[in-house]
Amino acid sequence: MDQAGVARVRVIARAALVAPVTGRARREALFALAGAPIGFGFLGIAFGGALAIATAAGPTPDSAAWTAIWAPVLVLLLLILALAAARPLGGVIRWLAAWLLAERISEPPPLRTRHGLPARPGKQGWLAARFRDGPGWRATVYLLLKFPVAVFEFYAVAWWAAGIADLTYPFWWGLMRNHPPGTHLSPVPVFTPFGLFGSGTFRVATFPGTFAAFAAGVGMVLAAPWVTRAVVWVDRWLIRVLLGPRTLAQRVRDLERTRALAVNDSAAVLRQVERNLHDGAQIRLATLAMNLGMAREKLGADGDPSDLAAVRKLVDAAHQGAKDALGELRELAKGIHPPVLDNGLTDALATLVAGSAVPVKLTTSIARRPSAAIESIGYFCAAELLANAVKHSRAETIMLEAAQRDSTLRLTVSDDGAGGADPHGTGLAGLAQRIRIVDGHMEISSPPGGPTRICVDLPLRV
Amino acid sequence: MRVVIAEDAAMMREGLTRLLTERGHEVCAAIADGEALLAAVAQHRPDVAVVDIRMPPTHTDEGLRAALELRDRYPGTGVLVFSQYIETRYASELLAGGAAGVGYLLKDRVADVAEFADALARVSAGGTALDPEVVSQLLAARQPGVAALTPREREVLTLMAEGRSNAGISSALVLSTGAVEKHVASIFGKLGLPPSENDNRRVLAVLRYLGS
Repeated sequence: MDQAGVARVRVIARAALVAPVTGRARREALFALAGAPIGFGFLGIAFGGALAIATAAGPTPDSAAWTAIWAPVLVLLLLILALAAARPLGGVIRWLAAWLLAERISEPPPLRTRHGLPARPGKQGWLAARFRDGPGWRATVYLLLKFPVAVFEFYAVAWWAAGIADLTYPFWWGLMRNHPPGTHLSPVPVFTPFGLFGSGTFRVATFPGTFAAFAAGVGMVLAAPWVTRAVVWVDRWLIRVLLGPRTLAQRVRDLERTRALAVNDSAAVLRQVERNLHDGAQIRLATLAMNLGMAREKLGADGDPSDLAAVRKLVDAAHQGAKDALGELRELAKGIHPPVLDNGLTDALATLVAGSAVPVKLTTSIARRPSAAIESIGYFCAAELLANAVKHSRAETIMLEAAQRDSTLRLTVSDDGAGGADPHGTGLAGLAQRIRIVDGHMEISSPPGGPTRICVDLPLRV
Repeated sequence: MRVVIAEDAAMMREGLTRLLTERGHEVCAAIADGEALLAAVAQHRPDVAVVDIRMPPTHTDEGLRAALELRDRYPGTGVLVFSQYIETRYASELLAGGAAGVGYLLKDRVADVAEFADALARVSAGGTALDPEVVSQLLAARQPGVAALTPREREVLTLMAEGRSNAGISSALVLSTGAVEKHVASIFGKLGLPPSENDNRRVLAVLRYLGS
């Protein structure tokens, strides 16, 4: 094998060894465990309800009337309850997925009547709206499918549990199995995913035998993250398809809208650049040229100038104008693309923070570099949020955090200021739009009186 | 010369005011938007107005609109439109009502103080001052008739469009006045302008450029 091949094998081997102790494996296992009660519960209640109807229908004397009239009514009622419960339960799953899987699915649009008005219980059209509620139906389907998925998720968790348990055999064997010689002891069962119940997969009777259990444990713990990931991947996919707001058509509409935002935004940026040049450096240079022109005229074609003081003043003004124009061009260029951003977001943010009027505490942990566009958007988000905090919050200190986790870059800007930031104000709304273009997400918490905390999540790649 | 200046960049406004004052002209008013310009002209009745195209509130072409209105209301007042860009369409609109007392210059031209002052004086006296940039854009557009001109004739036409007299053209191109006159006659011929008593043909030649 050549050297590169050896290196590649080494990288893969290390990834396989480290997989069980990564945060991702831990979070996925937790998700597999946490989502299960909902899956079991939903189907359980539905099933229990159906059973209750069936038993209630059974012993009554006039059971034909029951089946004909009451049973359908109760089934209908159950369905309505299921549809009503599915949305909030779906919300819990979405929240778990966002928290543990970094799978950010936006909330489906709220329940609406046929006329597009918000539907509330008691209001006219609520019931009909429930039955026409696509997201509600899809969430119900998800929760019904969640049952088998949860079974597998539990199974994946069993890989972890049994694996870790098996690792312990050699350690307690000596403590537990110290009976006097001659005592007859039954062998101890070892559980693996291939035999989880009863007498286990195999049984060990001697201390050397515990090493077989240990070896099985090692194998299971090494495999567990991948089994979990595979099962969670299916769940992820179901969540994406069934708990999001989007049918494909909706996604297309959404993309159309964000594309329009992107196009308008880049046009606006170019217009702003032109405007800044027109009102800034260009006018300064024109004035400078005028001052020099006047100075040259005062100097005359030959001989001593009549009014040297005036010439000096004009040249001074032109000199100052040239310096101002240079400064303005530099600022403008930096505003288009700060050169330090080429070194990565960490350096760029450090430079940004150094120039802040209010002290900023910066922490960055970016192991994997985002794509250039994301770095740029992240940088300008941070710049604008910092500028906002400095301008409006009257904060004493500002915290800026940039952390990359899995495939997400999260920027957090928090301050101890007065709060009350308006998410619908032009500044924050404009920022939110720019973030939406790359399927990013912004969360604002700024109660009156403070503190303000704004989180921006960006995908690492566009 | 009595001048009104409409320019929204304070730096440029003050510079222009100083420049013109130092040359012995009277700056009656220096304002920053189109409406104030119309009011100032109504009040002071200057010989000439220097007008920036992009001014508040929309920063698009309110200066041009105001300039057109000035041409309409006060035909005796020269209008020198002054901008950082040359737009052929703006030039056509300005010249649509005739080329007398109209100028359209890039702001860069203030660097040559004397030439700028000359151009302003020309406009004030009912002449024309078009930026060489206007002319080169028009040449690039290849108006019919213009294609038939020799390079030398184009040069002459360019200077003519800038508003120069035959004497001015002859000194700029280092030609004898007679040679310039010959070129001018040839241009008139190629552009199909019949001989007439007055100098209007010069203006017409420029307008022919603009296809208006």
